[in-house]
Amino acid sequence: MKKLLLTTGVALTSLALLAGCASSGGAESGKETLEVAALEGGYGVEMYTELVAAYEKLNPDIDVVLQTSKSLEDEITPNMKAGRYPDVVVLGQGRAAGLTESLIKDEALEDLTPVLDATVPGESVTVGEKLTAGIVGGLNTNPYGTDETYLMPMFYSPTGLFYDQNLLATHGWTVPTTWDEMFALGDEAEAEGISLFTYPTSGYLDSFFFALLADVGGTDFYTDVMTYDEDVWNTPEADEVLDIATRLLSYAAPTTVGYANEQDFTKNQQSILDGKTIFMPNGTWIVNEMAEAPRTDGFEWGLTPLPAVSEGADRFITTSVESVWVPSAAKNKDAALDFVAYLYSDEAAEIFTGSDAIQPIEGLADTLEGENATFYQVYDEPGVSALLGGFASTAPVEGVDIKGTLFGSADSIISGDRTEAQWQEDISAASEKLRQAGD
Amino acid sequence: MTSLTTHPAPSRPPQESPGAADRPLPRTTPRRSATVRAKNRFVLLCILPAVVLFLVFMVVPTVNVFRMSLFTWSGFSPDMTFVGLDNFVTLAGDTQFVRAFQNTVLLLVVVTIVTISLGLVLAAVMTRESIRGKAVFRFVFYIPNILSIVVIAAIFSAIYDQENGLVNGTLQALSLEGLQQVWLGDQKLVVYSIGIAMVWQSVGYYMVMYMSSMSAVPESLYEASALDGAGPVRQFFDITLPLIWQNIRTTLTFFIMSAVNLSFVLVTAMTEGGPDGSSEVLLSYMYKQAYTNSSYGYGMSIGVVIFAFSFLVSLLVSRATKREPLQF
Repeated sequence: MKKLLLTTGVALTSLALLAGCASSGGAESGKETLEVAALEGGYGVEMYTELVAAYEKLNPDIDVVLQTSKSLEDEITPNMKAGRYPDVVVLGQGRAAGLTESLIKDEALEDLTPVLDATVPGESVTVGEKLTAGIVGGLNTNPYGTDETYLMPMFYSPTGLFYDQNLLATHGWTVPTTWDEMFALGDEAEAEGISLFTYPTSGYLDSFFFALLADVGGTDFYTDVMTYDEDVWNTPEADEVLDIATRLLSYAAPTTVGYANEQDFTKNQQSILDGKTIFMPNGTWIVNEMAEAPRTDGFEWGLTPLPAVSEGADRFITTSVESVWVPSAAKNKDAALDFVAYLYSDEAAEIFTGSDAIQPIEGLADTLEGENATFYQVYDEPGVSALLGGFASTAPVEGVDIKGTLFGSADSIISGDRTEAQWQEDISAASEKLRQAGD
Repeated sequence: MTSLTTHPAPSRPPQESPGAADRPLPRTTPRRSATVRAKNRFVLLCILPAVVLFLVFMVVPTVNVFRMSLFTWSGFSPDMTFVGLDNFVTLAGDTQFVRAFQNTVLLLVVVTIVTISLGLVLAAVMTRESIRGKAVFRFVFYIPNILSIVVIAAIFSAIYDQENGLVNGTLQALSLEGLQQVWLGDQKLVVYSIGIAMVWQSVGYYMVMYMSSMSAVPESLYEASALDGAGPVRQFFDITLPLIWQNIRTTLTFFIMSAVNLSFVLVTAMTEGGPDGSSEVLLSYMYKQAYTNSSYGYGMSIGVVIFAFSFLVSLLVSRATKREPLQF
């Protein structure tokens, strides 16, 4: 008897230990459960909780389980590896963890093309009709370059060069419209002990390079670069892009590289607020991110697209678009698609706008006020158009990181550890490897 | 429960090899063998949970790392492709990997030597010399060890700040502006900057470990040697070091293991491998490849290299430091 008790005891202990590792099941309330995972970005969490409440009110038989986190990937990835996928995920590309990119590479996303033709719940128009023209169709919504949309555009914001309007005004400078003016301003500012350019970390140069590529070679050249066209980095356009970038980096604030790391990048941003540096590439979230930071008197955020290559030439403004997608392995796909369609309703848009999250809905940008209005006005400047996308997804290539090579090298260019020629050679090699993987 | 306490220690040896050793016994002394068997069963049952946990959480994942290193897999997709040793061939030609390896080796060698030597010297001073406020010093040296790495990263970001950091600020106060450096922005310096943070973090822990073994060395040995005219330095090398040698050996192996991990956490929190990959270490590169470059199999092959490397270094260190243990 004693032995039996003992055996049972030990067995139970081991079971209990192992059971601790298993997850507890979902709520069984008879309602359909929809799991929504959203990145807690600069816009906060409140808008998502409000949204879920509004959606549940409209659909009483659906129980939305909301999961938000600043490091969403770390929280949902382990479950996904174990086969438990959320139904809807709000998470864009270009994050360090690259979860969205991984799923694109694996073709593990649900085709969301039907959502475009679906009627917005509670309204009589379709999602496609409400969306800003041209927002769907690029590589960031149709990642395989086909007509199928796998990622729906969620919030969009212009990224470009941020500066202090007051700093320019007090020195009698104007925002440069061509690169020649830009470098002339750099020399002038240097004489007064002000640097022309800085970046928080080299990763922030993504929007800068995308726009510069399109400015120099047009959208066709940009697409060629993004899809790793053969020898695209050995063209005169590529030479010009790297020439401009290298020249601009020679105007970088001396503290840039030393602060361009995870701990100190805000110090680079602070140098704009302190009036020590004029321009930095960034996104509209910078306003909230640095809201508490001290600044010079009269400081006022401004945003400009990159200067044009020549007088009157086209300019592009890289537009960062956060995405919402549905994993192919999601359990409640129908409910998920309906939820995604609801995200474009007037009701949802109002909730999002309240947190400064602007969706690509026709006419929405005109209703904005304050700094946001200034930022979204850049699209109205003459000759400026929005630029979407990013590098095309290919099968993973071991040891090749084209973003790291293209943007990360900026640190080495500034410090002189790498020459422009080496830079070009490395990017070209990385691009070629990715091209081969894409074939 | 009684079976545990009533049996004296001498009956233990047969238990240690339960399978083979006690099987011949039943024929000779059936009654004794029954109790031995019951006890063995009890012992086996007791260690079962630990063995299961060890298998599930240590052995299986380790074997998996080795297995996965032979595949290409993105981490999510259902298709894994067997590629044999291709990942290792790619590794050999990956300059970024080579740089990460160099950094790891450099940190391992420099940080280990500095930390252990500094720990030894500090421990000797703290145990042998009469210093006022010894307890305070011991506490102060130990504190970094209980701080979270993120806090340490923040502290060192303030120390290394190129404009108003502690180091550059002090140099300026001493009118040594020429020595000011961009500690985290200079590609040649950044690894050493991280190394210093690692030493700062671990030296207190090893100091305490050495202090405990040094205080066990009998005072009479020092008195006798002092009568023979040995000074503190001679005593340190001829008495203290040989007598705590076993402890040093253990801590060396221990430190090599933890330095690999510590360098990853510090690099991630402080520089993210920057500027331009110049402070990348093996584990941070493995993480980037496996999780952000969707090359899980490739990442695991880096894991295999780390495993083999730490194993080899530990073995070499253990062999090289082998001495006849001294008794006192």
